[in-house]
Amino acid sequence: MIELYHIWKQYQKAQWALSDITFHVEKGDFCFITGPSGSGKTTLLKIMYRQIFPTEGQIVIDNRNILKISDHKIYQLRRSMGIVFQDFRLVFHKKVFENVAVVLQVLGIPRKEVRRRAFNALRMVNLHNKMWEYPAHLSYGEQQRVAIARAVVNSPKIILADEPTGNLDTELAFEIMSLFKEINKKGATVIICTHDRELIRNFGQKILFLYKGKLLRKELL
Amino acid sequence: MWQFRVRNFFSITIICLTFLTVGIFLALANNLEYMAERISNNMAAVFFLDKNISEGELDAIKAELKKSPLVLETTFVSAEEAVDKFREKFPELQGIIENLKMNPFPPSLETTFSEKTITFREASGLIRRITNMPGVEDVQFNQDWVDRMHSFSRLAKAIGFFLGGILILASFFIISNVIKLNVFARKDEIEILRLVGGTNSFIRVPYLLEGITLGVIGALVSLFLLFLLINSIPIYLGSRLGVLNELINFRYLSLAQSITLITEGGIIGFLGSFSSLARFLKT
Repeated sequence: MIELYHIWKQYQKAQWALSDITFHVEKGDFCFITGPSGSGKTTLLKIMYRQIFPTEGQIVIDNRNILKISDHKIYQLRRSMGIVFQDFRLVFHKKVFENVAVVLQVLGIPRKEVRRRAFNALRMVNLHNKMWEYPAHLSYGEQQRVAIARAVVNSPKIILADEPTGNLDTELAFEIMSLFKEINKKGATVIICTHDRELIRNFGQKILFLYKGKLLRKELL
Repeated sequence: MWQFRVRNFFSITIICLTFLTVGIFLALANNLEYMAERISNNMAAVFFLDKNISEGELDAIKAELKKSPLVLETTFVSAEEAVDKFREKFPELQGIIENLKMNPFPPSLETTFSEKTITFREASGLIRRITNMPGVEDVQFNQDWVDRMHSFSRLAKAIGFFLGGILILASFFIISNVIKLNVFARKDEIEILRLVGGTNSFIRVPYLLEGITLGVIGALVSLFLLFLLINSIPIYLGSRLGVLNELINFRYLSLAQSITLITEGGIIGFLGSFSSLARFLKT
């Protein structure tokens, strides 16, 4: 499903953010990427949804080399993914509902269906009662849940989440993980970057350890 | 657009002021051209005749003027009519005429030239021909004034093309940069739309429409302000200008010029949005 071959990434000279990363994630896997801050987790995810290009290496997703997709066709890849960004990336002048609905609107889904699915996604993260508020009026944890609702609303084949429970209390973090697990059971491949060991212990199937840009080991639990 | 009303208000204001500057300049150029045209249209010559001119000589001159396509109208003014005209125009100088024992005014032929066809060379040729005919003593012709006015008009046009070109170019840069700032302010939103799978056209269309709308509204408001300005200038200056007010008669932009300004607003808005979006639609 997701295959990375010898990925190297350099932001500055003589400093490798990622060094020779090679791994495969199978369809339906529930995978954690862990490691200390600055180990390259976010860089790796950004390369997977092609916000940035690796300095060297190849990535194949769904039998397609994503580095060869042209800029104006990259939407095809991203529509198959649900992404939870570390900094949430919410549009602050749009209401919570609009932030979630936009993923469906870009697909040209009818308005009534958009409303139904966006509402359901917000209900899953327990924010349906705040759907007409602006993100700035929500707490950090709530904003994070909006970002999660946006990532799952489209029932994507792949979910890439960067510290999706970073600002949530343990109980809510477990709820969100259960939600990801549920989506995973329906067939989606889930890759989560986190350094929360508790979550990894409870939910991890496949774990990749990164340290200073290098893949130290892969574990299957 | 309502969400960003303050920013859009300032954008429209800047666009409007830029177009207003262009509009004022265009209106001034229009006025100069109009003035030059009016003065040259009023081109006339007066042929002063010998007091003892014979019927035959007068008829010959009239016939010569009549056959020329340059001449619109010829009126014979007798010596007596000339005195009457003088009395009518300058009633305060009546005493002078009465003190004179004789009529000092010669008979004359007042000739108006055709508005469309005339060129100065042609007019000068005809005037020279008539002046050389027997019975013609002198000629009064406003050629110098018309010549000066026309060279002034030519100069104004040349300066107009130069400055107008610079102004339009400057307006293009100012407006497209204002639109660019609008797009830059929302670059995060554009990036998010890209990341959730928005196609380039899905992202572009609202911004392009917004750019066009801002440009067109800016141009429309500037045309309205220019209209107010042009209508208020004669009210303000009217009493001071006196006779000149009739001549200066401030004119608004032509329909073609107004449509060009509005179209320019739309095109610049479109191009400004398009070029600034391009850089965000790459990753």
